[in-house]
Amino acid sequence: MEKKECFVAVDFEDDDNVKGYLYWYLCKFANVEAGDKVVAPLGRHNNLQQGVVKQILFAYEEDAPFPVQYIKNIRNLIKTDSANLYRIIKKRELNSTVTMMDIYAPLVAKKAEAGQFIILRVDDDGERIPLTVAGFDRKAGTVKIIFQVVGGTTMRLNVKREGEYIADFVGPLGCATKTEGLKKVCIVGGGVGCAIALPVAQKLHEKGAEVHSIIGFRSKEMLILEDEFKACSNKLTIVTDDGSYGNKGVVTQPLKELIEKGERYDEVIAIGPLIMMKFVVATTKPFGIPTTVSMNPIMIDGTGMCGGCRLTVGGKTKFACVDGPDFDGFEVDFDEAMARSNMYSEFEQKEREHCNLFKKEIV
Amino acid sequence: MPVQLKKYSMPVQDATLRARNFDEVAKGYSIEIAIKEAQRCLNCKNNPCVDGCPVNVRIPEFISKIVDKDFDGAYSVISQSSSLPAVCGRVCPQETQCESKCTLGVKFEPVAIGRLERFVADFHNSKCEENQVKTQTNGHRVAVVGSGPSGLACAGDLAKKGYKVTVFEALHTAGGVLVYGIPEFRLPKKIVEKEVNELKKYGVEIITNVVIGKTVTVDELFEEGYEAVFVGSGAGLPRFMGIRGESLKGVYSANEFLTRANLMNAYDGKSHTPIMRAKKVAVVGGGNVAMDAARTALRLGSERVYIIYRRSMEELPARKEEVEHAQEEGIKFEILRNPVEVLGFNNEKNNRDPRNGFVSGLKVIKCELGEPDERGRRSPVPVPDSEYVIDVDCVIMAIGTSPNPLIKNTTAGLAVNRHGGIIVEESTGKTTKEGVFAGGDAVTGAATVILAMGAGKTAAKAIDEYLSKKEV
Repeated sequence: MEKKECFVAVDFEDDDNVKGYLYWYLCKFANVEAGDKVVAPLGRHNNLQQGVVKQILFAYEEDAPFPVQYIKNIRNLIKTDSANLYRIIKKRELNSTVTMMDIYAPLVAKKAEAGQFIILRVDDDGERIPLTVAGFDRKAGTVKIIFQVVGGTTMRLNVKREGEYIADFVGPLGCATKTEGLKKVCIVGGGVGCAIALPVAQKLHEKGAEVHSIIGFRSKEMLILEDEFKACSNKLTIVTDDGSYGNKGVVTQPLKELIEKGERYDEVIAIGPLIMMKFVVATTKPFGIPTTVSMNPIMIDGTGMCGGCRLTVGGKTKFACVDGPDFDGFEVDFDEAMARSNMYSEFEQKEREHCNLFKKEIV
Repeated sequence: MPVQLKKYSMPVQDATLRARNFDEVAKGYSIEIAIKEAQRCLNCKNNPCVDGCPVNVRIPEFISKIVDKDFDGAYSVISQSSSLPAVCGRVCPQETQCESKCTLGVKFEPVAIGRLERFVADFHNSKCEENQVKTQTNGHRVAVVGSGPSGLACAGDLAKKGYKVTVFEALHTAGGVLVYGIPEFRLPKKIVEKEVNELKKYGVEIITNVVIGKTVTVDELFEEGYEAVFVGSGAGLPRFMGIRGESLKGVYSANEFLTRANLMNAYDGKSHTPIMRAKKVAVVGGGNVAMDAARTALRLGSERVYIIYRRSMEELPARKEEVEHAQEEGIKFEILRNPVEVLGFNNEKNNRDPRNGFVSGLKVIKCELGEPDERGRRSPVPVPDSEYVIDVDCVIMAIGTSPNPLIKNTTAGLAVNRHGGIIVEESTGKTTKEGVFAGGDAVTGAATVILAMGAGKTAAKAIDEYLSKKEV
């Protein structure tokens, strides 16, 4: 051995036969810390067992705590900082009604992909709401969410401060957005939907695809993530309803212009309000450009149990939580989805009246 | 002393009162009545009741302990076979299981085994001991997927044998269908919580908010040092009928309706989860889930609740006691009816009318029972031109579920049948994948709590054998 190796002493606390004894292992995981859980082979049958790292030693072969030819390897390192679970690590207000949060949830961060969603509960009486993953940092174990304050639950989430905790955070759920084989894509985002569109744009950009982004907002005040989109788009068009920034109008106008100018997209990916996605599909369909939309219906469990998130896609009942949330835009029954989305509008209205925080204009 | 011919009746809440609250309907036996009921047991030689129980609780033995006033002794007899006595005493269909085999039942009413089981469990739980039970651990780790009846039963048995068991639950509360499906008035959540805490005393670790198949895959569980995995992920996607109007606002799956009411506490006003409080509700289906949904709707304030079932009262698959309770509470049974379309409100003059798109009625067709099919069930045959509309503003579909696809889709080597149920060897729960066992609704499709528990126990035994063999 030329360089120093990392040795760790493990106590298999769950096994009464060996509890309290330290076993030395070679550890290839450089970020190991005392207190971490590890999986290691134990005994002559090399049963994989979980133990806790008690000591760490960096040493050359001759100083090894155990003859190197007999030493076994740590198989797996399980990093969990349970005290920080579901803690709000970072909070930033992107505009007057849209907030970004980084939540500590290492298991979710490890697996999350663009297009998937999580379900959270703010507190113990809270409802379960789905939010699409807006980013993740696998190393830091955090998942980024961006949400608009539209109802009681998002309001309660919004009053949580950095360093505070939310009750539950589960995921990643649903299927990731398919990006394989796409060379040239137009991403269309509307309002807070841009937060979900961004990681898709970033992933495509990283994979070397040509990305054209069209993002639309109500006004300049509502604009979010401009710099982030600039960084991952070969072409970026911004539109506002009132013309206070970028082009005046709606996202379908520049989309149509780009297509008519001869841009040949492998796919258009639209994420935003249902009405926007409906019109994006109406724009792309005559040109036959495959169009993916991201649906965000009312949900409870998010694992395919309750059926609340059902949609009609191609004449068949689909569940957004397990079959989606991405669907072929040409096949989605938007009118039905729009009708279903306001099922509890009366209830939400009452929730809003409860609280003075709501008495500012919601977009 | 002559034999008392009938079961001692169960004290229940008054029907008109209980139809408006979520308190438990059946109040349970007092000590005196329990002893009297226990004395009805003939203690017959061949113990047919034990064979009638899917987990073979030694019934005459625990009943004779009740006669001797040794209630703790009775509890320990039950808990050797059942991990969830307070639950099973409440929700098992005893009339088709243990009690159907009771010798006394041949001529008179059988011994009220379920009520006695519940009495013993409640007596035990009322004494709240929080001491940790010391079991010698053997160092083997087993992962259990899902904290419903099969998962809890499997975890309990393995923990008692010294295994280090971790249960992974996708929702935020442990209990599976016991907390999201079965309502408070039939199985108070406090009872489930107690049973779960009982398992924790044996060292079972329960991790919520982890969806196996998404957050962590089955293969990753093995990499993390688990030597065997039990999949008890339960039933999944609710079935719909495929008729027109099922996407209207006000059409729920029973799973969604019950989850909102039970797990999310939508009934108590404090919860932030909305639920529709409809005036007139139709529940489609005739099983226990349909009864639960109908009675929950009633308690949420509905004026009229119908059960729409396509066969006759004799074929109703629900537990007899639930059907009786439902009738007493005023649920209307529209039998021999099959829905053909859900009708919706549409104001043609005003497309912004807030009532647009909500349910306004359910069109049903009358049925007659035809010839028995190959399974001996008489199938309903629609009577031509007999359609009519029932005036309702909410329709709840309680016609079953199909297994959840999440684990199947992410676990290579795990075979499922054409319905999506995991294929297992019935006597062991062994799947086609090495080290993976399964049981409960994930295997059978929607069934009962006790069958799931039985499957969990079978798998626990097989996992024990599998891991002991591996050792040698």
